Amino acid sequence: MSGHGPKPEGFRTIPTWEVAKQPAERPRKPAAPHPATKKTLRELGIVEVPDEHKIQVALERLKEQIKERRSYMLAMESCVKCGLCQENCHTFLGTRDPDDSPVGRADLIRKVWKRYFTVQGRLFGKLVGAEDLTLETLQKWYAYFYHCTECRRCGHVCPFGIDTCEVTMLGRQVLFWLGMIPALHADTDVAILKSGNHMKLTKAGAIDTLEFLSDEIEEERGFRVEFPVDKPDSDIVYVPSSADFMLNPDTLKGAALFFEYIGANWTILSTMTEAGNFGFLSDQYRVQRELYRRLLEGAKQLGAKKIIWGECGHGWRAAKLYMRTMADMNNWWHIPVVHIHDEIATYIATNQLELDPSRIPQPATLHDPCNYARACGHTDNMRIIIKACVSDFREMQPNREKNFCCGGGSGVLFDDPEMYPMRIRFSQKKAEQVRATGVADGAEPGILCAPCSICKAQLYPMVDEHELNVEVKGLLDLVGKALVFRGKERLGGTNNEKNQ
Amino acid sequence: MAYFIGTILPYITVAIFLGGLTWHLWRWTAARIPHFIALSPFPKSWAGSVGFIVWQILLFWNILKFDRRLWIGAWPMHVAIGAILGGHILGIYTLGLQFHMIFPYAISEALSESLSDLLGKTIGVIFVAAAAYLLYRRFAYDRVAAISAPSDYLHLLLLLIIGGIGVYMRFVPGASLHYDEARHFLAGLFLFRPEPLPDNVFFLLHFLFVQILMIIFPFSKLMHPFGMLWNRWVVNRPYEEPAMGIPGAQIVAPAGVIYEDSGRTIRVEHWPRFPVKGV
Repeated sequence: MSGHGPKPEGFRTIPTWEVAKQPAERPRKPAAPHPATKKTLRELGIVEVPDEHKIQVALERLKEQIKERRSYMLAMESCVKCGLCQENCHTFLGTRDPDDSPVGRADLIRKVWKRYFTVQGRLFGKLVGAEDLTLETLQKWYAYFYHCTECRRCGHVCPFGIDTCEVTMLGRQVLFWLGMIPALHADTDVAILKSGNHMKLTKAGAIDTLEFLSDEIEEERGFRVEFPVDKPDSDIVYVPSSADFMLNPDTLKGAALFFEYIGANWTILSTMTEAGNFGFLSDQYRVQRELYRRLLEGAKQLGAKKIIWGECGHGWRAAKLYMRTMADMNNWWHIPVVHIHDEIATYIATNQLELDPSRIPQPATLHDPCNYARACGHTDNMRIIIKACVSDFREMQPNREKNFCCGGGSGVLFDDPEMYPMRIRFSQKKAEQVRATGVADGAEPGILCAPCSICKAQLYPMVDEHELNVEVKGLLDLVGKALVFRGKERLGGTNNEKNQ
Repeated sequence: MAYFIGTILPYITVAIFLGGLTWHLWRWTAARIPHFIALSPFPKSWAGSVGFIVWQILLFWNILKFDRRLWIGAWPMHVAIGAILGGHILGIYTLGLQFHMIFPYAISEALSESLSDLLGKTIGVIFVAAAAYLLYRRFAYDRVAAISAPSDYLHLLLLLIIGGIGVYMRFVPGASLHYDEARHFLAGLFLFRPEPLPDNVFFLLHFLFVQILMIIFPFSKLMHPFGMLWNRWVVNRPYEEPAMGIPGAQIVAPAGVIYEDSGRTIRVEHWPRFPVKGV
């Protein structure tokens, strides 16, 4: 990603407590991401439905999904609109737009649901909040469903456990079928289907980058770590996030150092150099499933016994919760899929790794990626790892499953001039949380550990926008740095005497 | 008119209520849960899952934790609804002698009746106050008003009318209806030997509005108590983790080591060293 988008002129970030004093109003036209080009859509194998058929097709799709997703039907029929989720959603806290809250977003579909699929809506219409589906409504869906970061905080706080992600994901799916996809998501879908990663990295390019990373490790640590690609008879397949090749190389190096330390027989699959899954965020039926198939097939061909997932929030949620039921085979017991944090935490909990926290003296705080915290349940082991790796760990408030999203989740990483200011507002709450920990107060930059590629991509520019004096790091970056390789490592700097 | 409301409408109401309820619950149950989409931290077992749901039902824990100002209206109102439903069934069935029947020696019949009266008054007032507060909240918070449809206000208004009439009948001596009159009438309905409505306009209105509530119940958000159970069945489930331990590694974590992580139990599996192919 090109990093910083066009910086809006005269845009100032307002604290959420100031925003809360403003009246909750709907803007006349919500900010929407750039749509995909016709060419990209053709490459994805879909044709944009012409405007005159859009409404009919959307209704057909909505109807056929009723039987397919119980969570969607329950969200439509049992929400009481108490408004509890509103002030617990980072997008509403940043914008004060009632449609930008979980209940508001779900209501965009619920109005249509009532009008076409319920007795009361057909009989009483507006009285029960039913509305006709119009092209304008579809445009609103397109804007607001791509403001949702699928972070599940609404599901966590809802007294009934209604997970609004299920509604916005369904909305995105219907929009995909209509040919209304943001350029970012469509391009990423095309890229991953073509090259096996989001960065359009070819196998040769990947190997080249990995060799470069090997050189870097040799320069820094004094020994060489190889990154095997497509090595036959590997015991484990590591699935890195493709952003790690370019944007966060330290994360990939950290994983390699860990595997080197324990002496694992590992490899990276060239057909699937991507832990993320944008199919999960735009098209769950074709793209998401294809990616699982490709991974499992590749892993099987190499004879792998286990797949280990890299640092990617939504990708791990997609793999952990959806792969079993989507891969058309009960892969779980043939090739177990686990997250690298779980493995490292197990090694640390059983005292098998030598880690030196004094190598990272800066104050550090941990941002719990939403998908790890509210969909995959691995908040404790991230703490096991970070506490073993840094000397000054400070907890962010609220944390764990109550944590707020970074504001970029589910690929809301749009750089276009309309959406970029929205991203700054979405991350307002996160900036306040980081500021409250005090890690940004020192003269030296503190560490904001965000072990998820999308969080990193969002936070790299956002810490600048919100003027936070922190470095954004992954958890594996810290592990790689803190791992002590006795007898192998050429140690430099202040810790030299200590480790010899 | 009174004949229609007191004799014909009740049977229609009950048919619509039970039919609508069954239809909705059947639809909810028949729809697929294609993927495991539980919210973490996952409960450790099904017992933990049920415990969590019961905890949520009893205390409205999430509301208490995340929005106190909603909780002070919502929780008392729902507890009052429960008490009122129970009170109506017990009070009318036993003619206000329910406390005497529970503690026959400690509480006399007259005391039981006045206790029943006192409790009815108190809970009725709590209910009306809490419902009025929730209605006020819907108007007063612009963010909640922005997402409310007219029906959201009307549901609360309907509850307020029913509760208001009930409380009025309790407090104003001339407006009240004695238990045996109500029981006589209701017993007639239940036994399919309809009796004429008691000659009390407040009772008629109370009875009419309750029937309206029952008719709209299955076709509105009032289904939420069932919705909650059905929803939590999907999102609060235990999850079985695959075992940890890296096959083929030189340093191996000892098998069987267990640690807990956000409700998950982490097992470590001992991976046998597989012979390398072709050797």
